[in-house]
Amino acid sequence: MEVTMIHFYPDLMNLYGSYANVSALRRYLERLGCTVKMETVIPCGSADFTHGDFFYMGAGTERTAKAVMEDFARFREDLKAAAADGAAMLFAGTAMELLGKSVRDADGTEYSAAGLAEFTTERRKTRIVGDVYGHTELFPEAVVGFMNKCGVITGVETPLLSKVNLGHGNELPGGPEGFHWKNVFASELTGPLLIKNPRMLETVAAAVYARRGQPLPVDRPPDPWAETGYTVTEEQLRKRI
Amino acid sequence: MKMLLAILLCKLGRAVGKLVGKGSSLPGKLALKVCPDILHRVQLPPRVIAVTGSNGKTSTVEMIAAILRAGGKTVVYNEEGSNQIEGVTTLVLTRATLTGKVHADVLLIESDERYAAKTFRYFHPTEFVITNLYRDQLTRNGHPEWVYDALVPAIHPDTELILNADDPLSSCFAEGHEKVQWFGLDRCSISTDAPAGVYHDGAYCPLCKHPMEYEYAHYNQIGSYRCTNCGHAKPETDFTATALDLDAGTLTLDGETEIQLAFRSIYNVYNILAAYAAGRRAGIPAETIAGVINRYVLKNGRMQTFRLGAHHGTLLTSKHENSIAYDTNLRYVASAKEDCVVLVIVDAVSRKYFTSETSWLWDIDFDQLNVPQVKQVILSGRYCNDLAERFSFSALPEWRVEPEIAAAAEQLRESGSEKLYVITCFSDRDKFLAHVEKEA
Repeated sequence: MEVTMIHFYPDLMNLYGSYANVSALRRYLERLGCTVKMETVIPCGSADFTHGDFFYMGAGTERTAKAVMEDFARFREDLKAAAADGAAMLFAGTAMELLGKSVRDADGTEYSAAGLAEFTTERRKTRIVGDVYGHTELFPEAVVGFMNKCGVITGVETPLLSKVNLGHGNELPGGPEGFHWKNVFASELTGPLLIKNPRMLETVAAAVYARRGQPLPVDRPPDPWAETGYTVTEEQLRKRI
Repeated sequence: MKMLLAILLCKLGRAVGKLVGKGSSLPGKLALKVCPDILHRVQLPPRVIAVTGSNGKTSTVEMIAAILRAGGKTVVYNEEGSNQIEGVTTLVLTRATLTGKVHADVLLIESDERYAAKTFRYFHPTEFVITNLYRDQLTRNGHPEWVYDALVPAIHPDTELILNADDPLSSCFAEGHEKVQWFGLDRCSISTDAPAGVYHDGAYCPLCKHPMEYEYAHYNQIGSYRCTNCGHAKPETDFTATALDLDAGTLTLDGETEIQLAFRSIYNVYNILAAYAAGRRAGIPAETIAGVINRYVLKNGRMQTFRLGAHHGTLLTSKHENSIAYDTNLRYVASAKEDCVVLVIVDAVSRKYFTSETSWLWDIDFDQLNVPQVKQVILSGRYCNDLAERFSFSALPEWRVEPEIAAAAEQLRESGSEKLYVITCFSDRDKFLAHVEKEA
């Protein structure tokens, strides 16, 4: 299977090793026998939504996200159409904020975001920083990660994590976190969350296959380092609950 | 009366603290409770030099102190590195008379970049050295622009800024500021045409977010940049290093003063440059400064040499959560001429707080170790699996995992005689050094 991955603003939106989510999914798909084609989108550059199987954006600073938001606005309709059609997407870290209706800066200025979902983001003058341990309805294993944001997100009706046992959710400590609709995944868990959570990687890969009407192959190559790394972190974080 | 009480309390607290081996921030904290504006009330020395930045604060401050003293100045500075307002208050009050006068020519302060605005609310430095601003401890700092914004209120219009011309972000502090002095390194043998590294924080302008171009880069985004849109660019430097040769360990300052480097790292070059600039602004002659920094070995040594079996080793202390500190040490290892083994340890991510956060490993360019003389890489510590996963995405052919630090040390003791480099953080270094014979 040939898969096209479209990576938005790889240099701008790349805080906290965000790029590694793309590296992880790419390697995973290649190990399953896929041929992966990478496309990157830079400001004013083009993006072919009709051929994309997976769309990705990572975390950026507030100023960078604002600049990106202006450029990203031109893809609004294409993005919605692709998402409605079941394209797989991951918006990781502060990129999640760009999927909502609007982002209000700490100084009160409001910006329109992509409008794929109804939620809104309000940035504060303090940051929410800390480890996160939570659960999703998508698989039984806990989700682990780290959050580093200043935005409080309200109005998410279909979160990715239904419960956060340690750390902060979209709006509140312990509250639901992220956004999930069809094959669109978004989470303010920063950095390489697909590396840290092997089940999440599997789930996103399954979404890529699902769009093509195929199940994820039964024989999947193991990644013992990622699995053991996950076990250690899961145990360490569980102790803190 | 409140001032006297605060000074007495601080002096007493510090004396007791020293006896019981406690840190230096608590006495200042108590004094600030009694008299919150104590730093405004005391009479500080005529010159107050502050140093902040993501990397190099402690080393730069130590060098500036040595330079000033060699130039005949009396200096008070926070040698213990307590760099938030409480530590600075302890420093000032323990050195003040009961009437609140600090007798010295210079008060020299290492300041935490996130909390500098708090420290400089009641007084301001005459010179403020900002070494650099880049990804560092994102778990507490957010991101470099967040730190930048936190630092802006710490800068008083009357303060002279001594800035790194080669850093596209911290150079922005000069925007709208009148008194600025620049230090920088010209193109040299180690320069590349474009920034290297896993991520590219120099790709876009920090001011307008348009693409930047580089004439050359020294490491990561540090070099000669120019924004294609707004013109934000490396300025002309007032204090300049040229002819840097890291192999020979030499550089020239302002075209006439040759310096021998005790530690051949690009970091050391920038620390020297910052210290040189501060020293010159404080009126110390170039030759006096050269006498101090020539072959200068830092007391707070982040490098420790040791023996382990037949291996002669060097421990390069990096900060976990700081990819540039790692990148710089990896570059040092990669430039070594002899065959070597490298041990990377991540056991506790921080010694100050708990976190399982390992995203920063993905910002480190471990591929730098993919050179013929690096014969083997061993990954150890609690987060060795995260390290291994990171290495599995690198081009390195030879690496293995030994979770236990003691076992890794034992295996090395029993086999091989290559040069050994150990790369880890303050939080983990003693866990390894317990197994070796340290050299002075």
